[in-house]
Amino acid sequence: MKLCEFIRPESLAQARAALRKLGPKGLPLAGGTALHFMPGKTPVTAVDLTGLGLSYIRQKGAFFEIGAATPLADIQRHRGPRWAMHEICRRISTHQIRNVSTIGGNICRVFPWADLPVVLLAMNAKMVIYSGKLKEMGADEYFSSQPARLFRGGDLLAAVKIPVLKAHHGFGSVKAARNAAAFSMVTIAALLEVNDGRIAAARVAAGSAIPFPRRLPSVEAALTGKEPSAGVFRAAASLAGNDARWCGQEGMSAEYVANLAEVSIVDALERAAEFARGRTE
Amino acid sequence: MKTHTCTVSFTLNGEKKTFSTRPDEKLLDLLRREGYKGTKYGCGQGTCGACTVIMDGRAVYACLLYAMQAEGRKVRTIESMGTHDKPAPIQRELVAAGAVQCGYCIPGIIMSATALMEAEKDITDEVAREYMDGNLCRCTGYEKIWTALRRTIANRAAATPAKKTSAKGGKK
Repeated sequence: MKLCEFIRPESLAQARAALRKLGPKGLPLAGGTALHFMPGKTPVTAVDLTGLGLSYIRQKGAFFEIGAATPLADIQRHRGPRWAMHEICRRISTHQIRNVSTIGGNICRVFPWADLPVVLLAMNAKMVIYSGKLKEMGADEYFSSQPARLFRGGDLLAAVKIPVLKAHHGFGSVKAARNAAAFSMVTIAALLEVNDGRIAAARVAAGSAIPFPRRLPSVEAALTGKEPSAGVFRAAASLAGNDARWCGQEGMSAEYVANLAEVSIVDALERAAEFARGRTE
Repeated sequence: MKTHTCTVSFTLNGEKKTFSTRPDEKLLDLLRREGYKGTKYGCGQGTCGACTVIMDGRAVYACLLYAMQAEGRKVRTIESMGTHDKPAPIQRELVAAGAVQCGYCIPGIIMSATALMEAEKDITDEVAREYMDGNLCRCTGYEKIWTALRRTIANRAAATPAKKTSAKGGKK
């Protein structure tokens, strides 16, 4: 990415005005760690979003609100009642990247290997978008296609709201990768609501092994009303192919990836069940 | 579109400095251009860790950051560490363990280890792995680097006075 100018707005309104004026020649910049994946010869003006007070994590009522410019390392290190976001953030890239890369940067433009959209889909998070005023958008709508579509007019992601999990909620995420810093081969996240020993509701999402992260409604339907057991999890995971067309990757056939995804779904569901039973790490 | 020349000011190794730069110049390039060549160019894409510096107490890849992103920050490079005659503890232990072969990765390793030592009090292997997972070494197989790091951590723990217990029986 070729930068020809660098500006530092002092408010969301200033940043939005600058981006609206610049149009396609404006680049909202947070951590900037993924820009080398976006080669472009057209010079752009970077609009630095890190000075807008958008780096924070705070609990507000039934949600944890995470500022869009919050580095992944801060999310990884944060602890709160039934906080579950640290699990996946620990698995994203390297320490140096997590210190700079932001939650907003990870979800405003979704790369195929992105982990956070999978987790936010399962969590049923809400994205807070600034378009002159703040408005909220649910994860299902936000991730229905490339979120960059929402920001072409200069609008900005301000925050992400994660529901505070209740005592009967369980969350689990699994990332299969070749090594600690590698991109994901498959990422799975699952949220289970367990009432009276049965799964009252489930949200299961997948990413990386498919072109774009998405929920797995067949898996969710197969879980609902059942006891959270290994057999139920395996049976539900076997239906994932109804929702997702797993892609082969370098050195891996599509069949291998499908198997990996099914095993990962079972693992994520087991972690979610453990969480509902009181797992904290 | 013409690329503007601009200036960036930040504290570098304890001294306030202002540099002329371009919006698209990476922090690594600025540092090396200004003579801070201990910070190495390795992969140039945020993978190997040879360019690791500490910014506001956190290890970061200088090859990924634009120099302009350092505005107002505190940046530390390997030049802020020990000298040949008076090495920092981690430098001393790396030499003692025979952990330095070609040496290209070592400035980055030292900066990540320094960020670890300065940020964490009780350092487990798990925490250390987390801090060091962004630094590659193609010579040593890591074992001797880990030996040096563990010795540095152990020496610091031994040198840190044990917490005093209260007269009423060690309330924590």
